[in-house]
Amino acid sequence: MITSRKLDLYPILWRLPLLVWQGLFFVVPLAFMAAMSFWLVKNYRMEPAFVFDNWSRMLGRGAFWDAYWLTLGRAALAGVLATVIAFPASLFLSFRLSESARRFALLCLIVPFFTSFLVRAYAWQVILAESGPVNAVLGAAGLGPFTMLNSGFGAMVGYLTLVLPLVVIFQTWSLAAIDKNLIEAAGNLGAAPLRVLGSVIIPAAKTGLVLGAVFAFIMTFGDFVSPFYLGGSKPPTLTILIIDTTKSGQQWPRAAVVAIVMILTLFAVATAALKAAYGRRG
Amino acid sequence: MAEPLVQFRAVHKAFGTYVAVKSLDLDIHRGEFLALMGPSGCGKTTTLRMLAGLEQPTSGAITIEGKVMNDVPPHHRDTPLVWQSLALFPFLSVVENVEFGLRMRGIGTKERRDRAMLWLDRMQLKGFEHRRIDQLSGGQRQRVALARSLVTEPQMLLLDEPLSALDAHLVIRMQGVLTRLQKELGITFVYVTHSQSEAFAMADRVVIMGHGQIEQIGRPQEIFRGPRSRFVAEFVGRNNILAGQVQAGVMQSPQGSVPVGAPDGPAEIVVAADRVTVSRDRPAGAAIRAAFLSEEFAGTGIICYFETPDGAEWKAQVSESQLSDLQAESGQEFWLSWDPARVHVMG
Amino acid sequence: MKALGALGWIYLAALFTFVFAPIAASVVFSFNSDRFPTLPLGHFTTDWYARAFSRPEVWEAISNSLIVAGVTSVIATFIGFATAYTDFRYGFRFKQAYLALALLPPTLPLVILGLAMLAWLSQVGLSGTLTGIIIAHVVLATPFAMAICRLRLSQMDPSLESAAWNLGAGPWTAMRYVILPFCAPAIVSALCLTAAVSFDEFVVAWFVSGLNRTVPVLILEILQGNVDPQINAIGTVVFLTSMSLVVAAQFMIFRRRRNG
Repeated sequence: MITSRKLDLYPILWRLPLLVWQGLFFVVPLAFMAAMSFWLVKNYRMEPAFVFDNWSRMLGRGAFWDAYWLTLGRAALAGVLATVIAFPASLFLSFRLSESARRFALLCLIVPFFTSFLVRAYAWQVILAESGPVNAVLGAAGLGPFTMLNSGFGAMVGYLTLVLPLVVIFQTWSLAAIDKNLIEAAGNLGAAPLRVLGSVIIPAAKTGLVLGAVFAFIMTFGDFVSPFYLGGSKPPTLTILIIDTTKSGQQWPRAAVVAIVMILTLFAVATAALKAAYGRRG
Repeated sequence: MAEPLVQFRAVHKAFGTYVAVKSLDLDIHRGEFLALMGPSGCGKTTTLRMLAGLEQPTSGAITIEGKVMNDVPPHHRDTPLVWQSLALFPFLSVVENVEFGLRMRGIGTKERRDRAMLWLDRMQLKGFEHRRIDQLSGGQRQRVALARSLVTEPQMLLLDEPLSALDAHLVIRMQGVLTRLQKELGITFVYVTHSQSEAFAMADRVVIMGHGQIEQIGRPQEIFRGPRSRFVAEFVGRNNILAGQVQAGVMQSPQGSVPVGAPDGPAEIVVAADRVTVSRDRPAGAAIRAAFLSEEFAGTGIICYFETPDGAEWKAQVSESQLSDLQAESGQEFWLSWDPARVHVMG
Repeated sequence: MKALGALGWIYLAALFTFVFAPIAASVVFSFNSDRFPTLPLGHFTTDWYARAFSRPEVWEAISNSLIVAGVTSVIATFIGFATAYTDFRYGFRFKQAYLALALLPPTLPLVILGLAMLAWLSQVGLSGTLTGIIIAHVVLATPFAMAICRLRLSQMDPSLESAAWNLGAGPWTAMRYVILPFCAPAIVSALCLTAAVSFDEFVVAWFVSGLNRTVPVLILEILQGNVDPQINAIGTVVFLTSMSLVVAAQFMIFRRRRNG
């Protein structure tokens, strides 16, 4: 009897490419980076070792924790701001626009993902410059000039440029999926518009709202363009710390320490948020 | 008798812990129209898929023409299937769909086109050969699916609820197409369905399956008039079941005592709905009393539903004039009686 | 209620303006004569384009970018399709982990992936090469290809493949004559989209590129120097390239949907 079907190569061959590629070039590099954080650097060369030198140096440094809390705080703020700013627009897109108009709007919002964020950041540099167009308009109204670049404000403009489209997309997806009858029923039962919003719409769209905020957090947390080119890079964020440590200091193992702390933080935040989004529903 | 075309011997199929088919023994003969019928989850589709090689038996053997097929992959079998979803290739034209099987067998462009066109002609699809599948009506798609399966001239055709997506009037017409086709070609049809009317209208033999096992095999009339188990009687429908103890030709049941031609001991009898007489006054002989619930218009007559004092549901088939004579209203009590000679005793 | 509707439109317009202002501005500035543009604008010029594209390193970067994007898109689409097909067809132990491997990379901050890639690729002697950039970009782009192909497969009647076997096609033949033709639009889409992802990526590329700069890495390095409107010119060209790829990808998806 032929029993070859049990040892069929066909499914294995389709499964293998991902395992090989992401294994060799995603899992292994990350594992190597983790191992590297215990290595030593002598005369600008890395030497395999297992010491906690890099960890104690980085974690014992006040500047590291300043950067940590700054990055975390900015990411949280960007998550909240993006959620609050996007929400009215998403509501309008979901409930006031026709299906096709909404789809077109969402399609437009995908466009920014495929434009260089660097070029956009550079455009903001010009627009928000002390002698730039915004200050020119404000100056004509007798205001300013304001210093908007190289500050937390500048960085936040960058962050929001990066994350707003995605947050609107997430929110609109979940809002548009709400059964319109539910809202009408609530209105019918005498709920005022604001109460309908609070007791029906927001709970029903919770998943999309949380996911949007989480992605905004993750993207902000890992972005270096906004803090570097619009936020003035001082004080540094964790990403800038990694770049500085890698590019100038040759201290890859110390950069690896920062990277691992970032991964752990992201993992904790994402887990907690997903629990909030999907846990205990209805 | 000639050797059966297909033999299932002690075939067992489990998906993890779920047993889909249990120790199945079944012969399928050359040139017969066999229907596999049962409720969903009874194992009928799994049986068909095992025959096509799309599932492998966990144990047991399936032979086709005496050859054990267990490890023969589907593409080395000659068991074309008409799918419930039809599974026509949306990116191919009608004629390309029909050609597919010939193309896979390495038959040249010219010959396969000619043979496909012949089948399209036969299925009255001439002129549609270059259409896309989504430009066809439901009935036309059905015929493309049939042509695609038959173009390789197989000796057996498998059909998995192929009519379930069609409108009622089209179902009747396609039933005619299928039976005629089967007689003309003289090949074996194995037809899976949950619809009693489809199975009984077309099949030479019907296999009733339940819980992964064969409950009964027989000609439609045999099964309809002589269900062997409560499961079959209930599944076939429009049957009333009476259970009780028989003593000296009389059965004592919760619904009353009635004469039965059965030996002493526990027994179950089946009274078909079309053999129940409904009357206002107590008829001579055995009868049970039941309250009228509602009526339903079925294809062949009107089914009246009753409830006996102990809560059992009874069905009686009446004609339209009988119904108006009865002037039945919900809750009114009637007498239900039947000819004891035309009752089926299960066992 | 009318007033609320008008307010909604204004709010939406404001948000879109904020999101698209930098894109529009960089296009406008690329044709504007001022080195430090402000209002009112200077006069129209194509000078920045002429200057940018007379630099040999720009052409070198473009050629690097095209090679990287081209090779990346082919490999990433192949892996993405294989993964989507595996997910569609098979259930197996550790499938969750398998899928996590397929979808996680884009959620990791690029700076971290860049560092890990740089460290690992220099161990195996590939840092500073175009191959290194391609390797990293495939890691990043594969999930997008996977998502597009998976979406297409989920629109497929699962019996279609079995039907092909049933009609005499072996697994590989069924793949060639049924699954691939069905997925063709998604595959073209995935090729375009992964090329666009690679064409725009600059963080990981910057970490591992060394002297072999792609266009976005060149922009980054110019940007580190000084304000230079040539960036707008190059950026506009990059934008148009990516957008044509994305529009092509969208077009394939939509055309298919209309045809059922």
